[in-house]
Amino acid sequence: MQDSYLIAGIAVATIATMLTRFTPFIFFAKRKPSPLIKYIEWNMPLMIMVILVFYALKDVKWEQYPFGIAEIIGVAIAIAVHVKWGNALLSIIISTITYMFLIQKVFI
Amino acid sequence: MKFLSIFKLTIPVMMGYIPLGMAFGLLLSKMMIPWYYAFFMSTFIFAGSGQFLALTLFASQATILEIGIATFLLNLRHTFYGLSMISSFKDFSWKKNYLIFGLTDETFALLKTSNIEEKDREKVYLIITALNQSYWIIGSVVGAILGNILPFNYKGIEFSLTALFVVLSIELYKKSKLHKPFLIAVVIGFVGMLGFPSDKMLILSLSLAAAVLILFRRSLEDAR
Repeated sequence: MQDSYLIAGIAVATIATMLTRFTPFIFFAKRKPSPLIKYIEWNMPLMIMVILVFYALKDVKWEQYPFGIAEIIGVAIAIAVHVKWGNALLSIIISTITYMFLIQKVFI
Repeated sequence: MKFLSIFKLTIPVMMGYIPLGMAFGLLLSKMMIPWYYAFFMSTFIFAGSGQFLALTLFASQATILEIGIATFLLNLRHTFYGLSMISSFKDFSWKKNYLIFGLTDETFALLKTSNIEEKDREKVYLIITALNQSYWIIGSVVGAILGNILPFNYKGIEFSLTALFVVLSIELYKKSKLHKPFLIAVVIGFVGMLGFPSDKMLILSLSLAAAVLILFRRSLEDAR
């Protein structure tokens, strides 16, 4: 691949990504936040996070063996450990190790 | 806040970014692109799915305009993150430009849920963002140089990012005053996961969630 093409492509992808990140700050930062913006700031992050969970699972093949069982178990363990102990790192490590074990050793 | 405790906050992201970055670097090297382009891409673009998309577009020799539009649409979700961070960054110095530049899915998630004293906040946010980006750069460069010969079986380690989102959802749920937006997001996420085209799932679901949140504001706020 040509260097000039790669460099131009990377430059354009950089600008496009920065546009998506800087736009809200350019348009809203100067004004006093309206009640609507405050309402969005309060409630949108939880919705984003929940949707990101489903987004992270979007490529699971539910209709095909092993039917996403490893993912369901992993998520269930993350929830259970977190509700019980409330330690983010512990919840993430336990559920990830379980998941890795399941897909490497159990559901091959 | 001590550096070590900030580092501990970022460990889940490290566990996700290093293997994912390595996968990116590996793919790049398989396309016969020199390794230093992995470094440039992870330094300047710094968007996981955006960089994978860029590789796909490079492979199909897409035009520069196509690369720009596709990347913009894919990363449009970041606009929502920015909207949620405006008042958090409001009193920061010019250095906040780096925070905005580095507002990836995972960095946003960490910043939004961390409990940091106000006087420390700017510094801690900067360190979190820089650590996260360094994991991503290290992963992608290592993957591009030696991804093919590493013996460790890290298959499945990317689940740590899923678990991170689960944990942070619980944390935000505990803090939230309204609980209906949570239920709405579960429904939208579920429908989106099964029904929306995979490459547009995130932006469609987030736009729908924002629309419902704004349109039904009155009944959502009354229901508390």
